[in-house]
Order: sequence, then C-alpha cells, then structure tokens
Amino acid sequence: MELSESIISSTIEIFESMLMMDAKAGDPLDEEVKTFRCSVSGIVGLAGTHKGMLSIHIPETVAMAITASFIGMDVDEINEDVKDAIGELANMLAGSIKSALSENGKDIQISIPSAIHGQEYSIECLAESDWVIVPFQIPPGEFLVELQLKST
Amino acid sequence: MGKRILIVDDSSTMRKIVARSLRQAGLDFSEILEAADGQLAIDLLATEKVDIILSDINMPNMNGLEFLKAKSEIDAIKDIPVVVISTEGGADIIGEATSLGAKGSIKKPFTADAIEQVLGPLL
Repeated sequence: MELSESIISSTIEIFESMLMMDAKAGDPLDEEVKTFRCSVSGIVGLAGTHKGMLSIHIPETVAMAITASFIGMDVDEINEDVKDAIGELANMLAGSIKSALSENGKDIQISIPSAIHGQEYSIECLAESDWVIVPFQIPPGEFLVELQLKST
Repeated sequence: MGKRILIVDDSSTMRKIVARSLRQAGLDFSEILEAADGQLAIDLLATEKVDIILSDINMPNMNGLEFLKAKSEIDAIKDIPVVVISTEGGADIIGEATSLGAKGSIKKPFTADAIEQVLGPLL
C-alpha cells in the first residue's frame, strides 16, 4: 500500500472511531511544509528498518475542537490536555503506519509522542528522506498529517 | 459491591476516553482508578484493591510489558487480570503481552463495543 493511502485510511479510521468525525483527505502536497503558525504539532519518532517521523500539524482552533471532542469538555486555550490529545493522535497514527510498513510492526519501534505549540515554529527531520504530507478536512477545519521516512 | 478498574496510560486524554468508553459500554464500575505509567500502577496497587486493569503498552518509565512482568512477581496482585490497550496491534507485541500474563488486548483506535467485548467476559 502506498504511504499516502496508509495515512489516509488510518487517519479516517481514527477520527471516525475515536472522535465521531468524518475526515476527508485532499491530494498529497507537492511541497514540504516546514514552518507552522499558531498550531499544535504531535510528533512520534520511528526507528528500526525504517527511521523517521510521523507528525500531525493542527491549527490552534481545530486542535481545541478535537480535544473538546476527545475529552467531552469545553476547551478554550492551548493547555496540557490539548498537547496530550494531539500527541496521542500522532501515537495512534504511528501505530497504524508501523503495521503498514512492517509485517506485524515487528521491525519498527515507535517513540513516546511529544507535542509542540507556538506562534511560529519550524520542524526539521531527516535529510534526503522520503516524505508525504496529506491535508485533511474535518468540520472544525483543516490539518496536515506528515510522514518522513528513510530506509536503513 | 461494584467492581473497581485501574486504567494505566501516560496520556491523560486517553485515560478520560477509556473511562468514557467504559460508561458507554455499560460496564458498571464503582470506581475508576488511574495511573500514568507501570511503576505508578505498581505503587498504587500496594494500597488499592482493584478487580481488573486496563494498561497501555507504550509508556515512559515502566512500559506495559515491564508492568506485566513486575506485577507477575508480586503475589498480592499477580492474579488481577490485565487487558493491554495499544496502538501496536501487531501479533508479536500482543503475543509477548499474552506470554507475560495479559488476558486480552484492545487496539487503538477502539470503540466502546470493542472494550465491552474484551472486558465483559473477564468481569
């Protein structure tokens, strides 16, 4: 399965089952996005037969709406709950991608998720790696799912 | 008297989601206890009695597999059933959890029905 197809099927399944939201995928981007503004990014590292990074980049307002849906409470600021929720989204996506990249996921390890939030920040991963970025649309807005990979 | 469950997960969001899913699944627990990693769960079980444990695998400090092993070495708690819940649905890691004593597994993302199907028979 193409990487973009794995990202799309995993993202749609997670949003449908955990958030009861329909996520619609757009066409994968032609250019990398390295700088994000007023956003929250959840990141999980991959190591083993493939190394790289799975990340999800979500504008603040969309991240707050996702978190509110996750925990069943209103969220009106980017707090620890939001960063934890977006990190957990990245964790679930990485687990699905891991299984798609390696039979039973046995040759790839995933890191503990982390989350970044800021008015403007850049994320650099691996030089000369393959990358896929897929945009998604959900009722509260848009977000990006990114996979950077390098075979070892 | 109702049963008590311990949810072990480093994500506070996921602990809330699991607790909500338990209620949606109609599983009637008198109390839901929480721990953020395996070591904190071991510490809590020294003083709190629970009937079943739902544990994540990928956690800092003491992960779910290490927790299963540590728990199996403590007579007072070794027989409490544990169900692992993880993004990693691969047969290898679930097989390892089972060999360490896990009584079932749930893959994230999950539904309330999936939780009920695995936990129901153990209660």
